[in-house]
Amino acid sequence: MRRTVLKFAAIAAITILAAGCASGVKYQDMASSMPSLKGGEGRIYFFRSASMFGAAVQPEIRLNNDVVGTSKPGGFFYVDRPAGNYVAASSTETEKTASFTLAENEVKYLRTSPSFGLLVGRVVIELESAEKAKAELGSLSYTGTVTAAK
Amino acid sequence: MSRTRCHAACVLVALAATLAGCAPAVRSVPVQIGVAERANSPPDLHFTAPLPLRLETGYSRLIPAESHWVSVGRVSEGLVYRPVDIVFSIEGQQVHEAWLVVRNSALQGFYLPAEARYSSLTAPVPLPKGTQP
Repeated sequence: MRRTVLKFAAIAAITILAAGCASGVKYQDMASSMPSLKGGEGRIYFFRSASMFGAAVQPEIRLNNDVVGTSKPGGFFYVDRPAGNYVAASSTETEKTASFTLAENEVKYLRTSPSFGLLVGRVVIELESAEKAKAELGSLSYTGTVTAAK
Repeated sequence: MSRTRCHAACVLVALAATLAGCAPAVRSVPVQIGVAERANSPPDLHFTAPLPLRLETGYSRLIPAESHWVSVGRVSEGLVYRPVDIVFSIEGQQVHEAWLVVRNSALQGFYLPAEARYSSLTAPVPLPKGTQP
């Protein structure tokens, strides 16, 4: 009986963890069909590695106070925005923001990653180099819906 | 309170502060950048060796060897250099994209382009030999 309960518990845990992961189209399968940038705009990628650590923490990501997507393990999304100054933030226990400037035709990469919090987990946002970001993006799944500049 | 209890309380407070993400904010002041004409701009920086930096906030950063930085203007604290093909940021309570401010062959601090502010290092850090032509 005890073994059966343990099996069910293990299956339930795996199901919950799997449900929290991104499951959309992989970057490598959609990269060639992504729209090119419009004049005066740059592109901002948000991505999160597929680690199970802190997988339950999936906050909304805001860009200059507009919600642009959700930080999900193994997921990425991007938005195109006019060249200018931006602040990206995650809505968790403590707000850690990343401020940066975006030039015309520039591509910026922002990594979101879970971290320990006082009460619950939080997600921090960091600027990442193109080299490191591209190495990880290939295996990540698209989780975005909003791509057009507001 | 006994000394042991006092130590335990200090450790708990430090732990709570760490868990709460209570790093100090990056200190900065507003600045105006004078944009350099490319024809008259000073030579680019090319780091011949990595340059480790310890920030006032407790975070550390490394300017990588072989990184290339172009002059984009001037603030009163020195010349401002933007990285080419890499991204550089400084961190405290928040993360800020940062460009280098150099004077007298030493890194004086950082220009924060998104905020148009200047954040000083506690002491200038000499650039590795050969970084400036």
